Amino acid sequence: MASSSSTGSGTLVAERRGIPGAQFVEDVQTYLSQLGLDVNSSLSFLQERLQQYKLVEMKLLAQQRDLQAKIPDIEKCLDVVATLQAKKGTGEALTTDFEVSEGIYSRAKIEETDSVCLWLGANVMLEYSLEEATDLLQKNLDNAKASLEVLVADLQFLRDQVTITQVRLLSLACITGMFINGEFDKLVLHLLKTSKKKLYSHLI
Amino acid sequence: MQQGGGSETEVTWEDQQNINNFGRLNNRLHELEDEIKFAKETNDNLEDASNELIITDEEVVRFQIGEVFAHVPKDEVEDRIEQMKEVTSQKLEKFEEEKESVLGQMSELKKILYGKFKDSINLEED
Repeated sequence: MASSSSTGSGTLVAERRGIPGAQFVEDVQTYLSQLGLDVNSSLSFLQERLQQYKLVEMKLLAQQRDLQAKIPDIEKCLDVVATLQAKKGTGEALTTDFEVSEGIYSRAKIEETDSVCLWLGANVMLEYSLEEATDLLQKNLDNAKASLEVLVADLQFLRDQVTITQVRLLSLACITGMFINGEFDKLVLHLLKTSKKKLYSHLI
Repeated sequence: MQQGGGSETEVTWEDQQNINNFGRLNNRLHELEDEIKFAKETNDNLEDASNELIITDEEVVRFQIGEVFAHVPKDEVEDRIEQMKEVTSQKLEKFEEEKESVLGQMSELKKILYGKFKDSINLEED
């Protein structure tokens, strides 16, 4: 946040986990007079910031999708282990059909067992007792859910910074009358395309 | 710290926070709509499944647990499906409630923001 020196108005958080916080400028007139002729560089700084935010948002969204796929997987595994555990008392074998290849299934008879093998990734599989397996899977599930929560909070923070930066960009451009050059139109069109919620100046 | 209100409307920190909140609520609304759609589909699938169960005369049903299809007696499958339907219906209800609340908060914020900014701001969906 090098170039701008604005009148002290709440910057909520300077940064969060690597995401730079956007500085909120309440008194745009004074800020403008401080900048003097340096408006252009301030505008391009803000636009650059928006691009950076966009990149970070893509990354976070990808991570979120991964986590959201992982959680049902772990829940399915927990289900299977729970079923095996339930069968343990009864003395019957569990008959299941499993996929050998796309569309081809084979029948398996699973006798009562005390242990399962869990695929840990990286070509590693370990045998666990039913209880240990349940604990491990539950722990993984809890971790995944906690990470997802943090991620969602990050995304919210990021979107807030984007909104603050967009508003600042627009009020700055609007006050300096950039629209006269036609650049303002381009600027606002760009911002409209990049956000779901529209926020534009009465000068359009 | 208001500059004498010119024709350009000042955005105060409170306004900024309202705008931020509106953005957050809007995003949450879209997420909820997707969740609700998914939950309704799941419910329909479970309905179809239990209807199929009633029609079939097999005693053993291949019920999907994880990635495999376990042979489960028909009664147990019925119970399981009932349970799954319960869970999904509750989730659906919770989502619908949250959606109502979000919509309420959004219209409150709209009133406040339109009140201050009138035409300078547009809070509608595309």
